[in-house]
Amino acid sequence: MGRKLIEHPFYAIIFGSFVFFIVIPVAYTLGTALFADSSLTDNLQLLNKDTFLLLAKSCIIAFSIALLSTLFGTALGFLLYKTQVPFRSFFKIALLIPLFISPYILAVAWKDFFFLLFNNTDFISSYIGVILVLTSIFTPLSMLIVGSALANINAQLEETGFVITDFRSVIFKIMLPLIKPALITSFVLVFIFSISEFSVPAFFGVKVFTTEIFTQFSAFYNHSLAILQSALLILLCVLLLLSERKYIADAPFLSVSGKGKSTKFYNLENKKWISLFFLAGWFFISVILPFIVLIVQSFQDGIAKFVQAFELLKPTFGNSLGLALAGALITVFIGFTVAYPTWSGVETKSGKSFDWLLLVVFAIPSTILGISLIKFYNHPILDFIYSGYAIILIGYTAKFSFISAKLIGNAIMQIPNSLDEAAQIEGIALSKRIQKILIPLIMPALFAAFVINFIFCLGELGITIMLYPPGTEIMPIKVFTIMANAPQSLTSSMTLIVFSVTLLIIACLYFIGKTFFKDYSNVNN
Amino acid sequence: MSIIKLNNITHSYGDKPVLQELTLNIEDNQLSCLLGGSGCGKTTILRLIAGLEIPTNGQIIIQDKIVTDKQKIIIPPYKRNLGYIFQDLALWPHFTVYKNIAFGLRERKEKNVKYTVFKMLEFFGLQDHADKYPHQLSGGQQQLVAISRALVLKPRILLMDEPLANLDVKLKRKLLEHIKNLKQSREFGINLTIVYVTHDHKEALTLADTIVVLNEGKIEETGNIEQIKKSKNEYVQYFIEK
Repeated sequence: MGRKLIEHPFYAIIFGSFVFFIVIPVAYTLGTALFADSSLTDNLQLLNKDTFLLLAKSCIIAFSIALLSTLFGTALGFLLYKTQVPFRSFFKIALLIPLFISPYILAVAWKDFFFLLFNNTDFISSYIGVILVLTSIFTPLSMLIVGSALANINAQLEETGFVITDFRSVIFKIMLPLIKPALITSFVLVFIFSISEFSVPAFFGVKVFTTEIFTQFSAFYNHSLAILQSALLILLCVLLLLSERKYIADAPFLSVSGKGKSTKFYNLENKKWISLFFLAGWFFISVILPFIVLIVQSFQDGIAKFVQAFELLKPTFGNSLGLALAGALITVFIGFTVAYPTWSGVETKSGKSFDWLLLVVFAIPSTILGISLIKFYNHPILDFIYSGYAIILIGYTAKFSFISAKLIGNAIMQIPNSLDEAAQIEGIALSKRIQKILIPLIMPALFAAFVINFIFCLGELGITIMLYPPGTEIMPIKVFTIMANAPQSLTSSMTLIVFSVTLLIIACLYFIGKTFFKDYSNVNN
Repeated sequence: MSIIKLNNITHSYGDKPVLQELTLNIEDNQLSCLLGGSGCGKTTILRLIAGLEIPTNGQIIIQDKIVTDKQKIIIPPYKRNLGYIFQDLALWPHFTVYKNIAFGLRERKEKNVKYTVFKMLEFFGLQDHADKYPHQLSGGQQQLVAISRALVLKPRILLMDEPLANLDVKLKRKLLEHIKNLKQSREFGINLTIVYVTHDHKEALTLADTIVVLNEGKIEETGNIEQIKKSKNEYVQYFIEK
């Protein structure tokens, strides 16, 4: 059945479109930069010692962020997914907020904080500042990955340990080794996100590899060097993701540990209040404090700057929401198309390669993806794409389809094949089975993928800043371009508005999801 | 002489009561079967003895020591000198067969770990599978690894929660023989008390020295095989004859 779907013209059109609009432009840009004009050896000589030193420095920063995020994420994940700490349902949602806020917003807030408190931003406008801000942003991602893995451990594997040894040994010798794949995934993903991140180092004025690529491309017009540097970064990210995938595929125990039974919860007893304090403290530092700082800074000179910021941003709301909506719908559609064969249980070459293509494109840092697309589409024949919003949508599709494919794929894997096979035996057509059986069962996952990608598209800066056509009004671009020359209170006001709009959308979508999918847990059980 | 005493144990999961003022004595050096249908509380009793659950009320005594009292664990599970075999065996999937068995010995800083583990593996005919992971073994072999892991620490009490539930009849018979032999084995069986949970009366009637028939969190009957067979209790008669 899966084979039939993959050979279906509809699937071929989606696959072909992805290759045509995204993969070919990236391959073309990289290929011409490496081989055109002069030989590969000549081109490679552009990569000098400074390039590699900067790459090494960026790697150290990304490593620190990945390590800290995974450590804190594991601690938070344990408290929220394995204990009965008070208000854990609230914190499970609330602590995710930094992940959905555009990184530059938090960078602005933290700079404001140091300015308000010390009248000096040297400490935060440094490598340490980049590490601290990005750790606060990516820790929720680690928390989610590690927490889900902890919740999926079969309770009896831990209990057998308790019959033999003490709590500490069970944690370090049974639980953590069991979730090693999740720890590695968390580390690799955060590393890739951190090394690809552009807006925070750019805002803090810290020179890292992505900002250097941006400078070479936009300021010095040294496209060959920018693309060569991009190729290096792509290679690093893809190699990391491939090694992570290989490790997970080769892990001998995954087939067993995946089938968790019930989750074991721990009673914190007298550590309950310390744990609650830790969670509340993290929430305060990562969400509340930046919000308060932005409010204070925005209204420092009265309401005038806030009103001015609102007027400046007003024309961007419709465009940004529309683009995010379109981006989310396209990525969910592609994600579903790629993930579907996992249910049918047939892996074909084309299905596998689509999955790989999504992964490789996802591993390409945003700035580089932007450069690749702009170089390819900046051609008279393709001007209808280049000069409109279409090029931004292509960028969103390239960046976020992988996320929706993973989320939807995981949901699909939970549904037994027998549900589809029972319908097949009754002679129900493939389209009807998808429409009447599969989609209703994975509706919460489709919605979750939509929400996540909607928020990501809304706050995306790395690709958009490279691709936005002159005259287009998009929220993060407006803030970022005004930041450079505007007074701090105007920047803070604009950031506060974007922060509030994002929070409002998250809250609305959360309540929509809660209302519409409240009965779905029973369906999936 | 009783090695395990449960005094007035009440336990519930949320609002749902599972055990109501249950008092039960398990005799030393015997194989006692807890027999009953689904949800009668037999697994809960095992988990309470192990210290994996805290009762809502009551007291548990093991080897004359109070191990659980008034909603408090006095002695943690790993200090109760017992082994536990779960229904799905709970073999650690990230450890090889050897490591699964050796883990407890190493944690307790025992000497000659390798020698002890291989002696155990040889007893069960598993010596050629030491480097394999659990998922590379058959169901029966996994069962034997779980038993080996529990026995290698030389526990005084072995708790077995429907360990044969998922096996075919032939394998079940073979393992029943193994379990019977355990108690008579010089290596591992000396003074070993086994508490065996099952819903299969045939299994209980084949294995047990003492059978405890449970229904809705209460004891319907206790006795040896003959006493259970002759019981006038309607539920017991129904359960044995069904």
